[in-house]
Amino acid sequence: MYQYDEIDQTMVDERVAQFRDQVARRLAGEISEDEFKPLRLQNGLYLQLHAYMLRIAIPYGTLSSRQLRGLAQIGCKYDRGWGHFTTRQNLQYNWIKLEETADALADLAKIQMHAIQTSGNCIRNTTTDQFAGAAHDEIEDPRVWCEIIRQWSTFHPEFSFLPRKFKIAVTGSPNDRAAVRVHDIGLRMHRNAAGEIGFEVIVGGGLGRTPFIGKTIRDFLPKQDLLSYLEAILRVYNQFGRRDNIYKARIKILVHEIGIDTMREKVEAEWQALRDGALKLPQEAIEQIAAQFAPPAFENLSGIPAEYANAFRTDFEFGLWARRNTFKHKQPGYSIVTISLKKEGAPPGDASAEQMTAVADIADRYSFGEIRVTHEQNLVLPHVKQADLPAVFKALKAYDLATPNVGLASDIIACPGLDYCALANARSIPIAQQIALRFRNWERAHDIGELKIKISGCINACGHHHVGHIGILGVDKAGEEFYQITLGGSADDQAAIGDLIGPSLNAADTVNAIDTLVETYLRLRKSSEERFLETYRRVGLVPFKEAVYAVA
Amino acid sequence: MAKAPKLDSQPQVVTANDLLTGDVVYLTAASSWSRRIAEAAVVANAEAGAALLATAEAQAKANVVVAPYLIPVLISGDARSIPPRPIQYREIIRAEGPTTESRPAA
Repeated sequence: MYQYDEIDQTMVDERVAQFRDQVARRLAGEISEDEFKPLRLQNGLYLQLHAYMLRIAIPYGTLSSRQLRGLAQIGCKYDRGWGHFTTRQNLQYNWIKLEETADALADLAKIQMHAIQTSGNCIRNTTTDQFAGAAHDEIEDPRVWCEIIRQWSTFHPEFSFLPRKFKIAVTGSPNDRAAVRVHDIGLRMHRNAAGEIGFEVIVGGGLGRTPFIGKTIRDFLPKQDLLSYLEAILRVYNQFGRRDNIYKARIKILVHEIGIDTMREKVEAEWQALRDGALKLPQEAIEQIAAQFAPPAFENLSGIPAEYANAFRTDFEFGLWARRNTFKHKQPGYSIVTISLKKEGAPPGDASAEQMTAVADIADRYSFGEIRVTHEQNLVLPHVKQADLPAVFKALKAYDLATPNVGLASDIIACPGLDYCALANARSIPIAQQIALRFRNWERAHDIGELKIKISGCINACGHHHVGHIGILGVDKAGEEFYQITLGGSADDQAAIGDLIGPSLNAADTVNAIDTLVETYLRLRKSSEERFLETYRRVGLVPFKEAVYAVA
Repeated sequence: MAKAPKLDSQPQVVTANDLLTGDVVYLTAASSWSRRIAEAAVVANAEAGAALLATAEAQAKANVVVAPYLIPVLISGDARSIPPRPIQYREIIRAEGPTTESRPAA
């Protein structure tokens, strides 16, 4: 894992000291709330409905056990003993006090963590595949490139006041688990005809008020040119992106308005001036960073271990869990384990300090001390020996962390919604809780199979509803919470924006409608092999729409 | 965020967030701030509301609270025994806390 050098540590420590002084001046009345707000936001501190909320960056979703244990301790000391993992692979504390924030940030700095690039109109924390460095289908570990982007983008003076926030995601696998087509810039690693590895560069994707699937601006970018090309895109955006209307300020609107071809011409022209300059990455620098992501000391294993095979045969619960929550590792004899933070009826993405500490301990014992955060609000143990899977299952189960539902209907993404968020129009978490309870029968849930339900409490779409197989958007309708349902969205390599099925419904009808949609799918599917999304793509909106609105 | 309803002749109170803690607070008749809506000063119309808000804004300038605003409430009977209840569900959640289950109490 990447370890801070002296420059990183000094930067973070100085930032804490600077913010401590800013808070002191705010409390002394030397700066007003209007002056202070952008400063606190640059340090990840929001004022939400009930308290301040502190958003912590988890660069590319990678945590050490020491860091996760530290996050648990900070959650106990400054929050109420909880943390909330977000769709940006970050962590939020929901009950923070302004007067204690600098102390919390100082404690974070001790574990090489911070809240930089989690707010404001800058290049935000880069996200990636949660299985990076472990997945069998990976071309190359994308975290090396995320770290290079982090070093380039943090406090980049030219890009600290962009027209709007800017999000970059990287996948090193052809099977996109990082939703790269719905980011401002998506980078997809692949091989060209000559067998060299580089990036497809996708630009102008995004969700929110005006959702767009990103467009390819360059099919193949050599690795050493990554930063100069990103800089060229950011420069064009910074110059031409709209600043007159916050809703039209993202790069997706610029790309939509001028077209991808004009965008490409401008970027390529800018790039020609930059590509052979200071940003050209020397091979040596790439290798130095790559060395920090070297694989752990795997054992040479082969065959299926007896412990695993026996447990699979004799323990029904373990079998369910192993089928849903493990993924194929690139190293024989190892598996990737996804820890569901979606126990039915619990708020998606929440983990107690006790659970975080337990995961850190389990990671130390069974996964080389490494943990990942997924954008679907779960955690991952990236390197578990298959022989240890039964023991890991048992250890997780003791902390309510072995729910066998990864990718199923109850593995719901939900933003904090109106229970916490000052921007929300409607609640998200209670809807997620009620839907998850409908699918708590494992036989039925596993029969339904992969189904991604995503819920946002407002049009800003933190809950990624546009790309849910079933998307739910909370709206305010004459002072009541209502929900719009979309179908057929997807965030993977076949990314698509969902279609609205009809008029919005109240909360109770929404939960019933999800049941109806699933029953309709079960009726229409060709076989149990055909997933919800495939059935939807085959039969279209009409039968689903009719089923939902027929009753009313 | 939903549009604020008209306040003309509605009973109303002033709410804000405490600067230091971020807690939801309500302006009391003694011009102090309480975490309990039961202790909020309730006024009967927009004119009295504007005066109440002016007091609150002075305290925002003095760095006690952040972003005070008026909200309509329902009152039934004796306000001392039955606390005023916000009309907007956003404000009900602010007054009563998150509605999700399996979270610790305040």
